[in-house]
Amino acid sequence: MICCKECLELLYGYLEGELTPEVHAKLNEHFEDCPPCIAFLQTYRTTTKICRETLKSVEVPEEVKVKLQVFLNENVRNK
Amino acid sequence: MSARGHNVTRNTGKVEKEEDLVQGLKKGDLKAFDTFVERYQKKIYALAFNMTHNPMDAQDVVQEVLLTIFRKIGTFQGKSAFSSWVYRITLNAVYMKLRSKKKQQTVSLDDMLPNFNHSGYHQDKIRDWSQNSESLLFSNETREVIQNAVNLLPEKEKVVFVLRDVDELSTERVGEILGLTVPAVKSRLHRARLFLRKKLSTYFEEYRDPGVKQ
Repeated sequence: MICCKECLELLYGYLEGELTPEVHAKLNEHFEDCPPCIAFLQTYRTTTKICRETLKSVEVPEEVKVKLQVFLNENVRNK
Repeated sequence: MSARGHNVTRNTGKVEKEEDLVQGLKKGDLKAFDTFVERYQKKIYALAFNMTHNPMDAQDVVQEVLLTIFRKIGTFQGKSAFSSWVYRITLNAVYMKLRSKKKQQTVSLDDMLPNFNHSGYHQDKIRDWSQNSESLLFSNETREVIQNAVNLLPEKEKVVFVLRDVDELSTERVGEILGLTVPAVKSRLHRARLFLRKKLSTYFEEYRDPGVKQ
């Protein structure tokens, strides 16, 4: 059975579906018996998810949109 | 007119296809420019904001990028995707903003990993805070913590994380934009995720159980 350290070294490939079926199965086998690795896996995966949700929600503020329109009128459209 | 040509404009006057958009921009067509602004303004602003964590800098970057695209579109040769070219111009403007403010840092992988014993097994307990994060995600404090954690990432890892995990570009496209090999993109992305996981662990664990740290 592979150890926790090897498991975490393969974590990226595991989540991206890049491992061979045999290696993937070995990691699954390890995870079944290793709560710390499961906790690490869940928090690693959640990190990506919550960062994406937070950073994706960035919107251009209305006042910036107005300023950009003024800027574009002066520098592009009326040139 | 080719089948492609029929799709150039709709009643809205918008240029629909990317290659037609590029042709329109090259001809100095202002409708094409408006379409470009509408299509890319948010992407450019969000990338600049997520990289600089500063609204004024993000606004400056958008202005600079829009002007550069308008003035330099003639130099775009189509060797890479147009969107990759826009991303590169945006990142150049971002780097100019960041250059004066921050020293380059590096992420040590060892600092981001848990402690293992000699046999390679976990030495310490790992707390699973993934369930807590869902309920906390909508609080302004949590969002600020997440944005601050991303802001602490070194530039090399941050840009890969934002392009790949936030903008959800493919690994290959990120490599094309940044001039990196696919393995280099994957390595930096993994480091970024480990770094952020470590930073967020401190916050979420303290929230659940004050005084406990990993």
